[in-house]
Amino acid sequence: MDVSSVRLEDRLAGETPGGGQVDPSPMFGTWHNTDKKTGGIVRMVLAERNGVFTVHAWAAGSPDLYDWGEIAATAHAANVQSHEGMAFSAVYDFDFVETILAAYTKSGILVLDTFNTFKDGSGRSNYFTREFFHR
Amino acid sequence: MPPLQISRTRDLIEEAGPRPIRPVDLSPLTGTWVNFDTASTGIHHLEIADRNDRLIVRIWGTGRPDPHDWGEAVAEPFTDGVGLHAAVAFRAVYDLGFARVMIACYLNKRLLVVDAYTVFQDGSGRSPYFQRDHFYIP
Repeated sequence: MDVSSVRLEDRLAGETPGGGQVDPSPMFGTWHNTDKKTGGIVRMVLAERNGVFTVHAWAAGSPDLYDWGEIAATAHAANVQSHEGMAFSAVYDFDFVETILAAYTKSGILVLDTFNTFKDGSGRSNYFTREFFHR
Repeated sequence: MPPLQISRTRDLIEEAGPRPIRPVDLSPLTGTWVNFDTASTGIHHLEIADRNDRLIVRIWGTGRPDPHDWGEAVAEPFTDGVGLHAAVAFRAVYDLGFARVMIACYLNKRLLVVDAYTVFQDGSGRSPYFQRDHFYIP
């Protein structure tokens, strides 16, 4: 067994790899939730700061949005030979809850899944969300 | 009881009083899930089990002549909201040595959508990549 692949997509098709770097810039910008009444993430800014791909999220709150701050994110391409970023993952740790962002872009829309794990013993169920964003 | 901390309005729970911790019903996720796409280059099939209230996932990746057995991993189940108890999604991480794969999955009706976020750790120059597959229980 080839120990450097666990599915066919992991394999290079005979071309020279390019260093494993993915350009996140196709995802840069301010992304707004298509649901104006969301109880989740209202908007995100994807950018680069000092060479690091970052995500900055704001979430629904009253009277003001919750500013989650800026964190580093990992950009993903569509396959092992591509360098064009089209997806990302990132982790927000708020002590009482950990939120994992897993997102991809398609046809100008960003689809964001969040996986939310409570760590405060509050009895709240860990929950999943799926929301859509536009620039 | 101190007020709940929240990071967004969805974190709020509506009912007042103590909130007993209830186990999540894993049954919506359990079973053997087969890829709809027989030509997929990603995940071939998955087995998901409830083992003493723990969600155990076992994945086979596409391969020739046989699928690659990734082995078992403990997965974390998720519901559709803070007050709900039926599992609708899960997340698991495979550290395969040469690569780390985050599996992020959710149910859509009786379709299981599986997103794999792969980061290579072997210096091979392969790009981190995202791949999506769709599964059903035959």
